[in-house]
Amino acid sequence: MVDEEEQKEYRWETGYEKTWEAIKEDDDGFLEASVADIIQRAKRKRQAQKQGNSKLGMMRHLYVILDCSDSMSSQDLKPTRLLCTVKIMENFIEEFFDQNPISQMGIIIMHNKRAEKISDLAGNARKHIKAINNLKQTSLIGEPSLQNSLEMALRALKLLPSHASREILVVMGSLTTCDPGDINTTILNLKSEGVRCSVIGLAAEVHVCRRLANETGGLYNVILDDCHFKDLLYQQVDPPPAALTLESNLIKMGFPHQMSVEGTEEPLTMCMCHVDSTDEGSKLNTGGYYCPQCYSKYCELPVECRACGLTLVSAPHLARSYHHLFPAANYDEITYENQTLICFACQKNFSETDKQVYRCPNCTKIFCINCDIFVHDILHTCPGCATNLSTFQIAHNTTQ
Amino acid sequence: MKLNVGGLIVYFPYDYIYPEQYAYMCELKKALDAKGHCLLEMPSGTGKTTTLLSLVVAYMLENPHDVRKLIYCSRTVPEIEKVMEELKKLLLYYEKQDGEYPHLVGLVLSSRKNLCIHPEVSTEREGKIVDGKCHSLTASYIRERHNYDDTTPICQYYEGFSLDGKESTMPYGVYSIDDLKQYGRDRNWCPYFLSRFVINHANIVVYSYHYLLDPKIAEVVSKELTKESVVIFDEAHNIDNVCIDSMSVKVNKRIIDRATENINLLERTVAEMREDDHKKLQDEYQRLVEGLRDASVARETDVILSNPVLPDAILTEAVPGNIRNAEHFISFLKRFIEYLKTRLRVQHVVQESPAGFLKDIQTKVCIERKPLRFCAERLASLLRTLEISDLTDFSPVILITHLATLVATYTKGFTIIVEPFDDKTPTVSNPILHVSCLDSSIAIKPVFDRFQTVVITSGTLSPMDMYPKILNFHPVIMSSFTMTLARPCLLPMIVSKGNDQVAISSKYETREDNAVIRNYGQLLVEVAANVPDGIVCFFTSYLYLESVVASWYDQGVIDSLQRYKLLFIETQDSAETSFALMYYIKACESGRGAVLLSVARGKVSEGVDFDHHLGRAVLMFGIPYVYTQSRILKARLDYLRDQFQIKENDFLTFDAMRHAAQCVGRAIRGKTDYGIMIFADKRFSRSDKRSKLPKWIQEHLKDSLTNLSTEEAVQIAKRWLRQMAQPFTREDQLGVSLLTLEQLQSLEASKIQEQAQQN
Repeated sequence: MVDEEEQKEYRWETGYEKTWEAIKEDDDGFLEASVADIIQRAKRKRQAQKQGNSKLGMMRHLYVILDCSDSMSSQDLKPTRLLCTVKIMENFIEEFFDQNPISQMGIIIMHNKRAEKISDLAGNARKHIKAINNLKQTSLIGEPSLQNSLEMALRALKLLPSHASREILVVMGSLTTCDPGDINTTILNLKSEGVRCSVIGLAAEVHVCRRLANETGGLYNVILDDCHFKDLLYQQVDPPPAALTLESNLIKMGFPHQMSVEGTEEPLTMCMCHVDSTDEGSKLNTGGYYCPQCYSKYCELPVECRACGLTLVSAPHLARSYHHLFPAANYDEITYENQTLICFACQKNFSETDKQVYRCPNCTKIFCINCDIFVHDILHTCPGCATNLSTFQIAHNTTQ
Repeated sequence: MKLNVGGLIVYFPYDYIYPEQYAYMCELKKALDAKGHCLLEMPSGTGKTTTLLSLVVAYMLENPHDVRKLIYCSRTVPEIEKVMEELKKLLLYYEKQDGEYPHLVGLVLSSRKNLCIHPEVSTEREGKIVDGKCHSLTASYIRERHNYDDTTPICQYYEGFSLDGKESTMPYGVYSIDDLKQYGRDRNWCPYFLSRFVINHANIVVYSYHYLLDPKIAEVVSKELTKESVVIFDEAHNIDNVCIDSMSVKVNKRIIDRATENINLLERTVAEMREDDHKKLQDEYQRLVEGLRDASVARETDVILSNPVLPDAILTEAVPGNIRNAEHFISFLKRFIEYLKTRLRVQHVVQESPAGFLKDIQTKVCIERKPLRFCAERLASLLRTLEISDLTDFSPVILITHLATLVATYTKGFTIIVEPFDDKTPTVSNPILHVSCLDSSIAIKPVFDRFQTVVITSGTLSPMDMYPKILNFHPVIMSSFTMTLARPCLLPMIVSKGNDQVAISSKYETREDNAVIRNYGQLLVEVAANVPDGIVCFFTSYLYLESVVASWYDQGVIDSLQRYKLLFIETQDSAETSFALMYYIKACESGRGAVLLSVARGKVSEGVDFDHHLGRAVLMFGIPYVYTQSRILKARLDYLRDQFQIKENDFLTFDAMRHAAQCVGRAIRGKTDYGIMIFADKRFSRSDKRSKLPKWIQEHLKDSLTNLSTEEAVQIAKRWLRQMAQPFTREDQLGVSLLTLEQLQSLEASKIQEQAQQN
């Protein structure tokens, strides 16, 4: 309750809003309707593009570049652009590591024409979330420099092995970038290094961002509001198709195990993750994961072994990345002609307003648009197929 | 695709068509059927050129006897090149569909500067110098002299052309400037004279306005074009001014001085010739007695700066006796120039009619009207006789003779104004004598009379009823088309007050008010903070621009502006301006963002496109009324009122609004583009102003957008920008603003027409 009070500001402090305009009229509100329509279609299309059996860059190395310039203090996202971004970003980071367990992330902020790395490439969500949370206190000053921060990210990404997918995600509130040199050379460098740069704009379409994304094969999107922002950010959770330059390598991975010998208490040891961190000193404890190669102990997975450099993951992590390779089949869009009364998944009654409904090609069950998106975004398996053993097998046989 | 437009099969070289393009074709077809003139407005970026070409070409192939020729007039060389591109595409499409290239020749005619392939002459940069050098290599007497004296240089390309160029016909095809040059090089023919020759039998001719409107050039170039022609004036919103400019002459002290020098030189040359080659002058005298008709057919190469429009009478009449003799003519000119000198020696403004001017000449220096009329022709003849090849040096005296001929030929529709000083600098004496054409219909009248269909088209022709009046013609079709859009890609807004509720306006009483200037500054800063990439601002005049920028500097507006974007300013110096433009584009490309402050009616407002990121927003600070204190304008307004019953205010508003529309229209150059248009003046919201905007802008200017404060406008813009930034592909447009053949057929033609054409 108290929290809620703090979050909200007074009505008169907010930006100028015309709430009555949110009501859509069909005749005159042509604008809202058509744009919403376009977004809906874009969503479907994105879904349709997702192909099974395509090669995906699973070992992702993502640098998030966050705008911390003056423009982030604008209040068009509540409470401010920065706080809103931080909040959504926290969830994103968790989701990212949840869906891409063998990937790494780093965070760079840009403010006052400079780039600053606030967290290095690492596979640990907690550290990043902490770094991001600290941003709430930073002062937002000056203009951002896209070039400086891209260069900084590029310097780090250059060193990665060739099988890693290199990505940059820029969240940009400012409409200008104040660069020391020609940003086009930076864009070309990024392109030749095969770094995929995606940009999410918080205000409007900026030409240079559009070009950055187009040249490097990334996505460029501008948010409409915070929900859309979340949508767009979560779009980045799915691993992108592998770049052509990406080599296929066999990667050596370790599956650590907990050392527990029957009947004996585990010895008290210190873990490697915290051994030299200053703010949170290493504690002696009993549990932990041991690297199968060098027996260093870690309290969390996935991680890269500090002693021998082996990537340590657990089997469930890998399994979780699995669904990217076997996505649920895309539903066909059909016009609604009373095929069925309710949506198979959510049991919603279809009415006149549902012009389109969606049919699974395998189990031929009918779904509504929301369920269609839910199934493909989050569930990754078709409820119709899953409840029927024969179709379930068909689905899996065709995709394999 | 193949379309059926009112029974005519039209080949359209694209897979998709905009609904308004189809409607446009329907209207154009009606005009061609009726053999009348028409006035069509369609927004820029909707493919006017290709629509026009495909319909007229189809019509020409179908009815070869009704329409023999298409004359396409455009303004600039890049625009001409664009037309040629489209034409090539169209004819290739015909070949692909029918298996045979259509039997048409299309070519471009441009100046010598653009077409010359002579190794030395073509290196020159300036048009006049190229003309002069070319003339010194190709004039008839030069070539004659070459016959007995091999050292006289001539142009091998011209020789090649005159030897065998005229007998052969060009193969069917489309020849752009580069193609013509290549064709000329291959055959050793001069491309310029080749195209001058070929336009008489080519089916499609593309050239600049001036070849048709400027009587000095039209007489030479376009005289022989057939009556069964379709003439198209593209981007014709300024056509009345082009007409007027081509018929007006301005003389100041410097020109008079240089003309005097010219005459002294002429006098010396004549004297020398009198001693050496008495016979030549005698020949000329004889020729003049016989009449000018023979002289004018001398050689096409000689008449490069020919006379202003001459009534046919002049060419058949003999030159009056008192200027036939070269010495007499020179002293005649001297007298005339002396007279002009005395007229320039005034302390106050003088305005008089051509008749009064002539009478004054008669009493003061005893020059009659008749010899004055022949002045231009007589001088041209003299220059020919004296074998002066480089005509560029003689431009001042040629100008003076043009003035004489104009004044003596037209008694109506002209005025003579002598101003002792410039209005801006009343202390500096700088007398100017204007012979100003007031009636734009004079220059264009021959065009309307001669050709069966004249199409006047542009993106901004509103209000359309004005053009038939000021150009004095009767269009059979007058239509305005809108853009059908899949998303509202333009956002016009009228900002009438600042955040402090002070009304903003550039009207004379308030324009120096600090509150207004501050609010303008505030508006620009807010817009700059929220609109990405490029922003273009238009002021009403250079003077106002300077004073506003100076106050902004004091108020700190400039500083806060530069936090968001870089600032560039258009100046009267064109080199400086193109420099500013170059860096403006660079700043937009590199993501820094830029603001360009420029002036309506300036170079930027007319010729430069700010598509996509180069112009996400256009701000119009004030209504760009023409400088109303100018005497030429006043005279023109009086004339319009008396002759055409057009009220002063109506004309001024019409002129201001078409320039405003032209300025804001710079931002939208196609259907995938989007841009904000802000009209920052309270007066724009009045219905007499609003209703004069083009239909396609008015359609999006809802009532709720006509009386906004700065803050409200920025809020709306912010939300709109986000919506426009959403990904937008061809599929989204398909069926709404982009039609395939099937879709077109399934929609009844009438229904589409109703939608797109709201006139």
